[in-house]
Amino acid sequence: MTHDVLEDGLAALRRDIAEVHAPAALEGALVARFRQQHRRFPRPDFWWLPPLALAATLAIASWMVRMPHGAQQPAVGSATAAAEPDPGPFLALRPIERIALEPGMTVVETEFPRALLADWGLPVAPDHAGEPVRAEMLYSADGEPVAVRLIN
Amino acid sequence: MTMPPVDTKAELALLARMQRGDESAFVALYRTHRDAVYRFALLYAGSPAIAADVTQDTFVHLMTQNRQFDPTRGSIGAWLCGVARNMARRQCGVREDATDPGELQDDARAHDSQVDPQSPLDRLLRGELAEHVRRAVAGIAPHYRDVLILCEVADLSYAEAAQVCGIDIGTVRSRLSRARTQLAQRLAPYAPSARGVKEVQS
Repeated sequence: MTHDVLEDGLAALRRDIAEVHAPAALEGALVARFRQQHRRFPRPDFWWLPPLALAATLAIASWMVRMPHGAQQPAVGSATAAAEPDPGPFLALRPIERIALEPGMTVVETEFPRALLADWGLPVAPDHAGEPVRAEMLYSADGEPVAVRLIN
Repeated sequence: MTMPPVDTKAELALLARMQRGDESAFVALYRTHRDAVYRFALLYAGSPAIAADVTQDTFVHLMTQNRQFDPTRGSIGAWLCGVARNMARRQCGVREDATDPGELQDDARAHDSQVDPQSPLDRLLRGELAEHVRRAVAGIAPHYRDVLILCEVADLSYAEAAQVCGIDIGTVRSRLSRARTQLAQRLAPYAPSARGVKEVQS
């Protein structure tokens, strides 16, 4: 008899509980929660531009702060000028007017005995007459030296 | 309160879509399992308000912690029942499952205090016998009650009930047997012969 009431009771419970449903309001609350959790904002086409600009600005600012003041404006060729000071102007070996009219002159770096300077009317110390001297020679189109300047 | 029919492949596809933020997939899963979860919680806790809270918490868990679901261990429905069981136990302040055999003895009287003293106006079920059984179920020990609800009312297999409760199948069998005994004792006064005796005595 106890078995009967147990089985009958469980059957009645199954039958009646099958008619019970979750409250309808739950679905709305859960869907709202789901939307809140999965809310996403559309990513703009150029979303990477602002962070890239910021990174570039920071990099440039950092470089400017760390750079030594002396190196801020390096002049082109300044290293060559420092190593080889300006040798000065050419000394004319022919009249200036003639040199000015010469077409197609060339500059040739050369080395010759210092004594040769005396031939062009330049002073030469007798003690150093035998030493070589470096110079830049300005030649006319027909190969005649028209001006010279000593390099050292 | 049988569990909804399981189409594992379709449910896993819904779960994957839900994880990608597909609201319709979540709604489909919710509508499939909401009643089973609510009914389990209602029978376990005996209170519609607690059952509604448990159902809501269970599906929030599905939203936020669905990576915990392991499809190799069972269906989504069984997993949700397990989540609902844990939520209901927390709501009811039930301690963790006792494993000491001494604590697992018939302790029906110890849980009489958990039977909610509802008036006839607070009835949850329409049928008188079903309502008596529901109250009797609410009165048995929690670790027997959940196995009884899962196996006898929700029609879960022993293996699924074991997964939900985190126990082995042998323990499910023994707890179910004890639960049925306790329930039968509680329903004894409603047996036709008992009622006849009472009516004669009165």
